[in-house]
Amino acid sequence: MRKPYVQRQRADWWLRNPAYRRYMLREATALPLLFYTLLLMSGLYQFTRGEAAFLGWLELLRNPWLLALHGVALAAALFHAVTWIALVPKILVIDTDRLRVSPTVVKRLHQVGAVVCNVGLLLLVLLLVGGGR
Amino acid sequence: MTETVTVRVQRYRPEEDQEPWAQSFEVPYSEDLSILDALNQIKDQQDPTLSHRWSCRMAICGSCGVMINGEPRLACKTFLRDYRGKDALEVRALDNFPIERDLVSDISGFIDHLETVQPWLIRSDEQPVSAGAYRQTPEQMQRYAAFSQCINCGLCYAACPQFGRDPAFLGPAALTLAQRYNLDSRDEGASQRMNWLNAEAGVWSCTFVGYCSQVCPKDVDPAAAINQGKVASDINYAVNLFNILRGKDDA
Amino acid sequence: MNAGDAPDIRALQADIVIVGGGGAGLRAAIAAAEANPQLDILLLSKVYPMRSHTVAAEGGCAGVIQLHDSLDAHFDDTVSGGDWLCDQDVVDYFVHHATEENLRLEHWGCPWSRKADGSINVRAFGGMKIERTWFAADKTGFHILHTLFQTSLKYPSIRRCDEYFCTDLLLEDGACAGVQAIDMRNGTHTLIAASAVILATGGAARVYRYNTNGGIVTGDGMALAYRQGVALRDMEFVQYHPTGLPGSGILITEAARGEGGVLTNSDGYRYLQDYGLGPETPLGEACNKYMELGPRDRLSQAFWHEAKAGRALATSRGEAVNLDLRHLGEARINERLPFIRDLARTYVNVDAVHEPIPVRPTAHYTMGGIQTDRHTATALPGLFAVGECASVGLHGANRLGSNSLAELSVFGRVAGEQAAARASQGPAVDPRRLLARAQDNAAGWESLREARGGEHLATIRDEMARAMEDGAGIFRLPGQMQQTCAKIAELKGRYRELGLVDRSRVFNTEWLNAIELGNLLDVAEAMAHAALARKESRGSHQRIEDFPERDDAQFLRHSLVYRAADTPRLDWQDVVITRSQPAERHYGAAGQQESKP
Ligand SMILES: Cc1cc2nc3c(=O)[nH]c(=O)nc-3n(C[C@H](O)[C@H](O)[C@H](O)COP(=O)(O)OP(=O)(O)OC[C@H]3O[C@@H](n4cnc5c(N)ncnc54)[C@H](O)[C@@H]3O)c2cc1C
Ligand code: SF4
Ligand code: FES
Repeated sequence: MRKPYVQRQRADWWLRNPAYRRYMLREATALPLLFYTLLLMSGLYQFTRGEAAFLGWLELLRNPWLLALHGVALAAALFHAVTWIALVPKILVIDTDRLRVSPTVVKRLHQVGAVVCNVGLLLLVLLLVGGGR
Repeated sequence: MTETVTVRVQRYRPEEDQEPWAQSFEVPYSEDLSILDALNQIKDQQDPTLSHRWSCRMAICGSCGVMINGEPRLACKTFLRDYRGKDALEVRALDNFPIERDLVSDISGFIDHLETVQPWLIRSDEQPVSAGAYRQTPEQMQRYAAFSQCINCGLCYAACPQFGRDPAFLGPAALTLAQRYNLDSRDEGASQRMNWLNAEAGVWSCTFVGYCSQVCPKDVDPAAAINQGKVASDINYAVNLFNILRGKDDA
Repeated sequence: MNAGDAPDIRALQADIVIVGGGGAGLRAAIAAAEANPQLDILLLSKVYPMRSHTVAAEGGCAGVIQLHDSLDAHFDDTVSGGDWLCDQDVVDYFVHHATEENLRLEHWGCPWSRKADGSINVRAFGGMKIERTWFAADKTGFHILHTLFQTSLKYPSIRRCDEYFCTDLLLEDGACAGVQAIDMRNGTHTLIAASAVILATGGAARVYRYNTNGGIVTGDGMALAYRQGVALRDMEFVQYHPTGLPGSGILITEAARGEGGVLTNSDGYRYLQDYGLGPETPLGEACNKYMELGPRDRLSQAFWHEAKAGRALATSRGEAVNLDLRHLGEARINERLPFIRDLARTYVNVDAVHEPIPVRPTAHYTMGGIQTDRHTATALPGLFAVGECASVGLHGANRLGSNSLAELSVFGRVAGEQAAARASQGPAVDPRRLLARAQDNAAGWESLREARGGEHLATIRDEMARAMEDGAGIFRLPGQMQQTCAKIAELKGRYRELGLVDRSRVFNTEWLNAIELGNLLDVAEAMAHAALARKESRGSHQRIEDFPERDDAQFLRHSLVYRAADTPRLDWQDVVITRSQPAERHYGAAGQQESKP
């Protein structure tokens, strides 16, 4: 008689194949970013608690471990952005009878957009910092 | 002496076994022997009780999907030569499906999903055949061409951890099929199919692992189709919201 | 079930049962559902419908559409291509409805290849004087099958029994009253009572060693009907396709030649000009009915002569000639023949853009089949047959490529409507009345499952396939034909001594393969005996040694094979001729001469 064997997904499924490991890596880029957000928020909190607290927080930032973590967060963000933008043309297909944008253009627009936003933010920060002096 | 290759084949005999096990066979090596040929040789000459599905042996009927060294593949489009020098060659039933017997999976759930998405041309005004063909330019056809190449082999379901977690997820091929019709310039059924795309088991269950597209033997790119479906679902949501805000909640 | 008891039977009921989920079966199901939505239609298939071998058809599907073409021209090409053994009333009906059916498929979503302006494109095909072959790149059958399957899901009255293997037809009061099948998932014998049964089980080229067919193409329906006393007609006519891959037999579509591919021998010479198909056409300019676009039987025969003269290439997979596509260039190959490029790369490790593809003739298509009238009805009331398993009288002695896919829709629709008409009138069949018969049948299949003889399944199958190749192949030589008939008889005897190992009921493919082998042997027997009886050469049936000429005086007739105790019984049926009198078949320059007024 029939007795189908039901295969249960194993807890370690994501370790068993390079494609899954890459996927998990991309998902894991969220962790350094989470850390970075928490850090910023704690900075904001210290700021509300007065100058001494904020200076203490700034001091903390010089910790080499934290510096390294910043590096990791940056790398993770870049990795995520690059892999994401590479996939965009497949998802955002603009191809109708009235309007057609080639996949390469969609991709370039995203790349340009990313660069413009980042450079813009940087300039804004520099401007604010400069103006503050 | 002719070179032989050891193939480890998963066996599961429902009347005797509690769970699957592996059996090794020696097969004479040849450059153009496919894994399917090897399985057929084993069945003909060594163990007639081995069960597997096959028919066309030219990668178009979609019968022969199996796991080969952990990857979902068509047995008829994979060759012994690709595994020469590797220490093992292991053939198992597709992941994520119940195993009926040996290499035969129970794919009925997958077929049900295909049937769910209303995969036929829907028109508000069905024209009589005497009116001739609907016009469709090669460019318009190109928009859904890749998504219409699916042979329903199920490899992408074996590759999809989301389907593995929850068999109710409509999954790559079914969602791609919906998208195939949604993108067809002759079709007007996208809003009906939106019910399935938007549903719990629809596009939003996909976390974009992307492995489905890698294993697809026909370059269908189901991951792209599903995520295009997400964009369509977003737009649909926005439009509905807009209409509701304007007081037209019949949308 | 306990040993010794009668086997358990599950009984189902429907108005119409369709055996086969290929192009023909699906089209019939849709037609029946549209004709009468009240009818309960059950579509039964030993594989999921989209696995059916229609999926493998590459080249295209005929239907007159160009302004300078005409139904008469399609009629003439079909009748002369079939060497005047076609029933002309059937051909007329067919050419009148082919285009309409192609359009219907289009309306159901079939992605036919288009011209730049969005209208239907057609390509040249062998034996057709004017381009009238609709195509969907080089996956025409795949797209037709998936379109039909998906469209069939629209109709709630079509129920499916997927992976049910039909083993018997059930009769009551001299009429077909249902079928019996094995549910492959658990081995349950199932009887389905119905007042109309349509067989759409496909061809039988798996009786040959080298063939273009899938493993499931085992002539089951033909054998089912044959066993109930229905005649198999024109079984001696088996088409060899001139371009299969050596070894596997995988098809390289004729469209490769339609697009301008050429055949060369080991000297690099386009040998077809030596076989009445010349003069040589310019490279890359395919010309209908010339050279590479001559009819398939002629091309396969030319290969045979070249090989005999030592001008074939020796490859590791046997003798071959070259199919050269290089002059078409990469862009055109990718647009029109992407699947062919992929197949050649995968299965013979050749990139068609840079190297010629080795090819050889392989068994491809059974022109004959279950005898039906032009409404697809067999001599057994309640039983209809359609598609490659049937002989409706369309293909005669040689089928033109792309007529058979069109046949699936044109006559699939007829079969569905005819069955619906019968089922709508007749009273329902009570399954209980078929139970005893079904139990007997099941007991027989159960004893096969338990068979403990000394004969080996694969050995009998391989010996049969080799014998058919030798005695019923491209050329039929008298001594070898006799030997093949004797061999098949011997194998049928040995089949009774079969020993099987697998006793399981779940997906027992050894058991099912054994049933298929029994079917193949019946079909092989009919083919070999019909070939022996036809003492002439016509179309795909060539007896160059003893009867090299066509003999209209004696053999302008269909052969009919009936099953009998020892050797099958032969009979003959007149061909329906309405307006085209038999003439010589001319191709190449000679054909041009003839068609001038
Ligand atoms: C490689 C190839 C290429 C071709 N190319 C072309 C072409 O370009 N143009 C053209 O016109 N023709 C072509 N042909 C021919 C054409 O494709 C076939 O004749 C046609 O598809 C047959 O369709 P069918 O519906 O009759 O049978 P099939 O598609 O073979 O379907 C048979 C069905 O019957 C079922 N079945 C069989 N036995 C049983 C059983 N015992 N119990 C239950 N179910 C059963 C099967 O499961 C299947 O669903 C080609 C053929 C081949 C092999
Ligand atoms: S999308 Fe690709 S992998 Fe998935 S079923 Fe279709 S052909 Fe197979
Ligand atoms: S046997 Fe048909 S896809 Fe492999």
